[in-house]
Amino acid sequence: MTADYSRHEHHEFLQATELAMADVSLQGALSNLGTTLGQRNRVAFEILPESDLLRAKARAIKDAALAELDTHLLTLEASVKRRGGEVHFAADGPDACQIIAGILRQAGARRVVKSKSMTSEEIHLNPALEAEGFEVVETDFGEYIIQVAGQRPSHLVAPAMHLRVGDVAKILSPEAGETLPDDGPVLANFARRRLRDAFATADAGITGANFAIAETGSIVLVENEGNIRLSTSLPRIHIAVVGIEKVIPKLADLPVFLKILARAATGQKISVYTSLITGARSAEELDGPEKFHLVLLDNGRSKILGGPLRESLFCIRCGACLNACPIYRNIGGHAYGGVYAGPIGAVLTPLYDGLAANRHLPHASSLCGACQAACPVKIAIPEMLIQLREQLHHEPGELGRLESLAYRLWARSMRSPRAYGIATWLATRTAGRIWPRRWIAKLPGGLRGWTNTRDFPAPAQKRFRDWWENEGKKEDAQ
Amino acid sequence: MNREQFLERVREATLAGRAYRVAPGPALPERVGYVGGGDDLVESLASEINAVGGWATVVDDAEAARQALVELFDIYQPKSAICWRHPLLDRIGLGDFLKARGVAQLDHASLSLEAPDARRAQVVDADIGVTSVSYAVAETGTLAVAARPGQERLASLLPPVHIAIVERSQIVPDLFDLFSIISQQAPNDMPTNLALITGPSKTGDIELTLITGVHGPGKWHVIILR
Repeated sequence: MTADYSRHEHHEFLQATELAMADVSLQGALSNLGTTLGQRNRVAFEILPESDLLRAKARAIKDAALAELDTHLLTLEASVKRRGGEVHFAADGPDACQIIAGILRQAGARRVVKSKSMTSEEIHLNPALEAEGFEVVETDFGEYIIQVAGQRPSHLVAPAMHLRVGDVAKILSPEAGETLPDDGPVLANFARRRLRDAFATADAGITGANFAIAETGSIVLVENEGNIRLSTSLPRIHIAVVGIEKVIPKLADLPVFLKILARAATGQKISVYTSLITGARSAEELDGPEKFHLVLLDNGRSKILGGPLRESLFCIRCGACLNACPIYRNIGGHAYGGVYAGPIGAVLTPLYDGLAANRHLPHASSLCGACQAACPVKIAIPEMLIQLREQLHHEPGELGRLESLAYRLWARSMRSPRAYGIATWLATRTAGRIWPRRWIAKLPGGLRGWTNTRDFPAPAQKRFRDWWENEGKKEDAQ
Repeated sequence: MNREQFLERVREATLAGRAYRVAPGPALPERVGYVGGGDDLVESLASEINAVGGWATVVDDAEAARQALVELFDIYQPKSAICWRHPLLDRIGLGDFLKARGVAQLDHASLSLEAPDARRAQVVDADIGVTSVSYAVAETGTLAVAARPGQERLASLLPPVHIAIVERSQIVPDLFDLFSIISQQAPNDMPTNLALITGPSKTGDIELTLITGVHGPGKWHVIILR
């Protein structure tokens, strides 16, 4: 465990949290998240009439789409083929990487430009392609910065939000071969020029998709910079890697999502660029790719689809829950240790990457509900975190023997009024008398973990039921 | 895992997942979330365009539109322009206008003659892009541009300046209206690329602070004919 938690996954969560909390630069970067993105999201929804009902509609569309997902996938496949595209089915990450590398090899491609895609992060596409000898350049400005820095994205929509402008200047200066100033527009202009060269010479563009529309075979890409439009217009091959949960049935469903997605993400009414891409270019067109490939990814989604946490597949990756979350706003994205950070990441990462390997994440929440309130499709994130916590307790080796025994005793005493009476009588006569004050500042032995960060309420000296027998009833009668 | 196994797994999960459908939400009015474009679509479109960092100029006729173009060309002094072929651009006499100013016109006719790589090199260096639109949306200040031969996607994307010329009949009130029009033509007639453009290219990737023109055009002008 080192400060490299910004580069690697699967580190010790609590240690990473402490590092993040002590990182002055990171705390500075995080400090205005709630008042900027978080606030803009609220204002944007306030000024949209019936926004709450619109969110309910988006939620209903997702729920209905998933209830017929098998049919929609077949429709999507047929629609893409009708327009000359190729459809590939990838069962998991390695499968998807292999398919994409195969497409590139077959086309004789070597240089790849990529637009920001969390799905491609999830399958670790860049290292897989680089290992096969392909040159991969991230073209979203934030993604480009962190690719140069060798880091991981720390936010769903603002991947470099953990960095200050000075950090970015330091990261990009060696690329520029000169010392770049701590000046956002100058740095952005450097990236624009550098990436233009990449666009001008790339053989293939790889994107994700925000939505895939079954009836038309279109994929929908939402962005503010224009790098996705460039990635899908200049290279001769376009490959989109898309999770199966992104499918919506009809074109008419799309405006519902477009109206909520940007509002939730950045407070815009709609993002600067929304591209609906349907197949490759036609013969008479002068720009656009000659070949279009759609790689549909399962990677654990079908398992989630058939289970109680199915609702997590509604997520449209807007990042609103991250901006609203008191935990995320304190520790940033890297400490979560997975590809997906924040409240929804605490759900998605254990589901996609395994619960045992991410055992701290379901607990990385105060269950305050701010995430659910901010979510444009109203995902019940707190409830899902509680379900994951419950599942965790069935994982072997998760509970110590002592803790396990304590829970069993507690469960038994809660099951019968008589046992509960005895237990509380014992507690008030023993612990209640030893700690006459109401809060215990330090618990002994293995229980100290609790009181390290907060006090523990001491048992009362008198049981409620005794008080009720003697005095409560009299007050009640008055 | 092959296609059949993949789809079979999804099919089983889809069926099993129906047991976990979420509780039905409230009854939804027919046009929930419909905002519309106000009483004056032209004014609404212009004000939304200005609100997202663009510059809208409302003019009365083709002559005034040409005059607005003159002013913009005086500011940017472009040497080359990527242009759409479009009846509205013909009406304001774009071709003659560019010729008179000595601006090299890159359009479908001239670019078709080039090999793909040479073509890419030419358009990458263009100073300005001039297009019309397929539709414009008053609610959000959005321009919908569909790719067609003669209406290249790069014209609104590669140059640092994009000028779009819109007339009243192209404006629809709400995003819902736009998609209901396109839906009527779908599914077989979707353009290969339909871009909805709402503002100059933007990023907030450094400290959530707005920077314009990071990849697409940083200057975005819309001339609207009443």
